[in-house]
Amino acid sequence: MRRKGIRLSFSLLFAMAGLLFFAGPASASGESIGSCVVEKLEHIMEEGHHDDGHHDAEHLFHSLHAEEGATEEEKKAVKKNEDKLESCLEAPSPIIPELSEVIWGGGAFLILFVVMVKKGFPAVKAAMDARADKIREDLDAAEKAKTDAQSVHADYEARLADAKNEASRLIDEARGAADQVRSDLVAKAEADISEMKSRAASEIEASRQQAIADLRAEVAGIALGAAEKVVQSSLDEDAQRRLVDQYIDEVAGS
Amino acid sequence: MADNAITGYADALFAVAAANDVLATVEDELFRFSQALSSDENLQATLNDSSLPVDRRQQIVEDLLGGSASSTTKALVSMIVASGRSARFSNIVDAFIERSAASRNKTVATVRSAVELDDNQKDKLVTALSGATNKDVEVKVVIDPSVIGGLVTEIGDDIIDGSVRRRLNQLRENFR
Repeated sequence: MRRKGIRLSFSLLFAMAGLLFFAGPASASGESIGSCVVEKLEHIMEEGHHDDGHHDAEHLFHSLHAEEGATEEEKKAVKKNEDKLESCLEAPSPIIPELSEVIWGGGAFLILFVVMVKKGFPAVKAAMDARADKIREDLDAAEKAKTDAQSVHADYEARLADAKNEASRLIDEARGAADQVRSDLVAKAEADISEMKSRAASEIEASRQQAIADLRAEVAGIALGAAEKVVQSSLDEDAQRRLVDQYIDEVAGS
Repeated sequence: MADNAITGYADALFAVAAANDVLATVEDELFRFSQALSSDENLQATLNDSSLPVDRRQQIVEDLLGGSASSTTKALVSMIVASGRSARFSNIVDAFIERSAASRNKTVATVRSAVELDDNQKDKLVTALSGATNKDVEVKVVIDPSVIGGLVTEIGDDIIDGSVRRRLNQLRENFR
């Protein structure tokens, strides 16, 4: 419906434009002022040929100019011709056009209307549709580009978020690894210190035990050396014999 | 191989001594010379010195034995030195004594003592060892002052230690 109204409005607009283009200026006889004056003058000149045998220019002059001494009849005739000429100068009705103008204007209007309906409007409509389609396509393309841009932006945001998350994760991992390494180093250092302390304590204890053993062995050696000398000095012949006899008795009793 | 060589030398010594009918004499003289050689490191080094001519080493042995040993004993010792077996001399002599005792159906017991044993003690010791080992034992006494007192008997691989030295060593171990 709306398309149809637009179509009619365009047709009327073009028809009015054509009417204004083809329509001539308004006049009483439907002609221009000049042609009206020429027509009136020719009519006046034809009337003069019937009345007398004067030349055309002279007759026209006498018809439009009353000389002194002219009769009342001649003055009336001059007055009548002047009225005829002045009738050409009368303005047409500003509202009601001349019939011929209406006929020509109407015909032109109809022709233009038909031409515009059959040819002009479809072309204009096609152009408008094409332009509308192009605009629509452009809008669609712009919408698509916007959507794509939004998609790319969203993808970029997602990638950025992923990158941030990945970076955060890597930082956390690195921090965790560093903490682990630090903990391991601390634990290893503590273990090494503990082991060194333990080893030092063991070495000290071993050294102490060795010193005690050495001292004890030294004391025992000294004591046994002294005891050996005492025993050797106390083992006289009888004691040696008793030891041998005791040995023989032990072997015999075993 | 070494054991076979020692056994071979021991058999040779036994054969020579038995052939000359001086088995007991040679056995006793070789045993004493072996003990003397074991206690003298300089003499061992001299007899083992291959740079010295063999006849020089044989002359040293003959000078040492002199008139205290039989000619058979000196000849046998000279033979062992000439063959370059001085380092195994005590092993050869031990094998020879074992071989000689075995020919008499006896087992040799080496007894180390700080003092000499009289015959009565030797007889009682032989009786005691024979009873303890259920073998007919023949005693070889070695004077060893390191024993200090008492006796140390070796019969084959068995050792019966009743010395004062062992008691002192036990006491030393108890101090540690």
